[in-house]
Amino acid sequence: MTLHTACLCVAAILGNAIAFAGGFQLNEFGSRAMAQGGAFAARASDPSAIYFNPAGLGFQSQAEIYLGTTFIMPQVSFYGPVADANDPAIKNETKMVNQTFTPIGMYATYPVTDNLHVGFGVMNPYGLGTEWPSNWVGKYITTKVDLQSFYYTPTVAYKISDQLSIGVGLSIVTGTVKLQQEENVINTDTQVGIDMTSKAAYGFNAGILYKITPDISAGVSYRSSVKLSASGSATFNPPMPLVNVVNDNVTSSLTLPATGFAGLAYKVSPKLEVEADYQYIGWSSYKQLEIDFKNDPTKNVISPKDYSDTYIIRIGGEYTMDALKIRAGYLYDHSPVASAYVDPILPDANRNGVNIGLGYQFTKNISADVSYLFLKFDQRQAVNTVTKFDGTYNALANLIGVSVGYTF
Amino acid sequence: MKANTFIFAALVVIGALLSNGCTDSAPSGPSASLGSVTVTKYVAIGNSLTAGYQSNALYHSSQIYSYPKLISDQLKAAGANLGDFQQPLYSDPGNPDPLTGKAAQYQLINLVGPIIGPTGAAAGTPENLALPRPYDNLGVPGAIIYDFLDTTNFGSKAGAPRNNAFFGLVLRSSAFGSSILAQASALHPDLVTFWLGNNDVLGYATSGGTSKNIVGSVGPTPASVFQGMYGQAVGTLRTALPNAKILLGNIPDVKAIPFFTTIGPKVAAGVKGAMAASPLVVGLFYEKSGEVVASSYTNFTHPQSDPLITLEGGPYAALLGQQTGQWYRDLAASQGIPFAALYGSYKAAGIDTTKPFGFHPQNPFPDALVLDSAEQATTEQAISAFNSTIAATAAANNAAVVDFNAFFNNVKLYGVTVNGETFKTDYVSGGLFSLDGVHPTSKGYGILANQYIKTMNASFGMHVPYVNINNLPGLPTVQVLGKSAGDKNLSAIPYKAWKNFNTLWQSGL
Repeated sequence: MTLHTACLCVAAILGNAIAFAGGFQLNEFGSRAMAQGGAFAARASDPSAIYFNPAGLGFQSQAEIYLGTTFIMPQVSFYGPVADANDPAIKNETKMVNQTFTPIGMYATYPVTDNLHVGFGVMNPYGLGTEWPSNWVGKYITTKVDLQSFYYTPTVAYKISDQLSIGVGLSIVTGTVKLQQEENVINTDTQVGIDMTSKAAYGFNAGILYKITPDISAGVSYRSSVKLSASGSATFNPPMPLVNVVNDNVTSSLTLPATGFAGLAYKVSPKLEVEADYQYIGWSSYKQLEIDFKNDPTKNVISPKDYSDTYIIRIGGEYTMDALKIRAGYLYDHSPVASAYVDPILPDANRNGVNIGLGYQFTKNISADVSYLFLKFDQRQAVNTVTKFDGTYNALANLIGVSVGYTF
Repeated sequence: MKANTFIFAALVVIGALLSNGCTDSAPSGPSASLGSVTVTKYVAIGNSLTAGYQSNALYHSSQIYSYPKLISDQLKAAGANLGDFQQPLYSDPGNPDPLTGKAAQYQLINLVGPIIGPTGAAAGTPENLALPRPYDNLGVPGAIIYDFLDTTNFGSKAGAPRNNAFFGLVLRSSAFGSSILAQASALHPDLVTFWLGNNDVLGYATSGGTSKNIVGSVGPTPASVFQGMYGQAVGTLRTALPNAKILLGNIPDVKAIPFFTTIGPKVAAGVKGAMAASPLVVGLFYEKSGEVVASSYTNFTHPQSDPLITLEGGPYAALLGQQTGQWYRDLAASQGIPFAALYGSYKAAGIDTTKPFGFHPQNPFPDALVLDSAEQATTEQAISAFNSTIAATAAANNAAVVDFNAFFNNVKLYGVTVNGETFKTDYVSGGLFSLDGVHPTSKGYGILANQYIKTMNASFGMHVPYVNINNLPGLPTVQVLGKSAGDKNLSAIPYKAWKNFNTLWQSGL
């Protein structure tokens, strides 16, 4: 069962974390947007539009490079595991090992003609993971998870009129997953490591941005699901050939869900603009994960995930004071994971995020944005879990984003 | 402008600092405690399961993980002021097999096979003989319900008909008390676990339905006799300890124990293969109770009425179809009599070892290795009757029942997962049962201890923390091995190595 859970784990990682809700999904596609709760699809007025709404590129008439990264610092505690409601083990706290993740968002845009603009983005939105103390009570479920994914997105946008723009992008997606756990074999713990890389997979995104009035604009965008095929190795340290505990090759596949943004932005005054977005994530398409062992199919694991479609609500605003912009935002991220599937691999919960940020135009060409996001997870009780590892999770994350833009 | 920026930056920093204090508090819940119960002395009463027997022996490394020792540790973690939990420790590798004088413990000799059995190592010696009071762990391997009140000299039970040296080891001298009850009472426990009755039926079952009970007939202890003895045992205990918390363990079904469920599928596969290869093979011929020449055979297509083959039948599963009298040779050797003398009587009754073993009524699979459907029914009825008695006795004496019957039936169907490790009732690969197929591994005993703790918490309002199974030694688990390893040809534990296992159950007069 522990290998089974390992695979449950990979599922959680590949599925949960890469994408948009669950895991440590965070709004680090650009610090300007991040500071506003990620409510950006209706304005999409900087090169991070490549993520939020490619149509936004249509209204950006300058060539620009926009480069950024975000420092993500989660803190997680687990209380348990508890066998029943009266179990005093609820007092036993294990803290996740503190790590800092630095996903990147790098974009470049170029106006080919007045109306036709192109762009390219490299987004690394899910460089994240979880790590627990190596000998902790849940070591047979997980000790370490590390996930990275890269989106390479060529995008093209066309400004149909001064009010309307459309855009499409192609996403070339690759990912790597590493996970580790312990397994008990003949009184000895062996460390199981699974290391997989996905082949390049393809998806598209498309969007429309419509400036209804000079003060009100609406944006809609859609990102298709992406099917990742990953392969790699499973290693055992130490191996035990006599009981068939030997290294093997593994393969797995996973479909990342489709997601869509619908947003409305309103210029309250010449200096103040606010926006509200609804983001939908079609997680219900993710029913199960299968991990296949090439030489020993008896180790294959099929683990159900039973995710639900979910949503994120984003609200944000920006106040301009000459060269300085002040930003604030709020988001609510509804977890797609049912209580029975919450586990130490990716403890998930509904989250509330509060952001603030600053943007400063240093010169005509150079600007910088900083943002701070405090993400608070609801205290999550994992009850009747399929891993039989019930308990309570407390989690929060601090994120600091920095982006620099240079226009030509 | 700069002032505004400064104020803003200051707000960011303050916000960040404040929010880091903005963590949730720890979830509410009970702390480890004994509730309103006082525990100053805990005593365990039972048989080999209580003593910490594993892999056919009692030895230090198994006894330190006996469920009573584990319970005692957890009681201390809940605040009980208990001293060291004293047990009749036997140094590794444990007690001797009387037949060989060497250590009786079964060990994994070779993973390829796997090959399991006694290694021929020198036996250990008792370590805690000088304790000036009764042991806290009064589990005596081989004890039946009759033994609880019995005042027969302990040392004498080492001879016929019991041939059980453990009474002498655990109870030592009547100076500590002339019965198990007396020694338990002398310690004035306020918490007692009591798990007796298994051997009243297991001896019959593990012998393939051939061994005799306390009243001298072949079968489990008769239900009415058990009812009387069990009621009297617990009633007397309750009278001696009017205020103690008492937990009674009930009896699991035999079909949940790998001793009975491991060899059958191997034999079934061998039979089906032979039937496919030759129309002359119609099924497995096996002896029913009292038979010599078999009158029935099975092709293993009726799970409700098919016989169970015991773990002792392992070596003989490989001999199906051969012209062999190996069983009779082994039987003679284990009884210490010449083969010719033993075989003569069987031959006179119709046995012909030139016939293919198991496939001909004159060379059938022997009664002692088979629990046929009638024997299974007898066993099940006995267990059901014993458990009714245990439940009624608990109610009458204000004791709690730990329902091991329900627990093991559940584990047989679904396994049990603890902290990410899954355990099943499969032999060796399941992780729960040790190499004799009856007694648990240390992890298994931890899981049993947690059943006691769960019951005492629920019944007595205590909050004793559970044992952490991760920290207990165990045997390989099925998940990493995969099914491929579990299907490997099974152990051939030599028949003579089972003799001291079988003598544990001898209570017949």
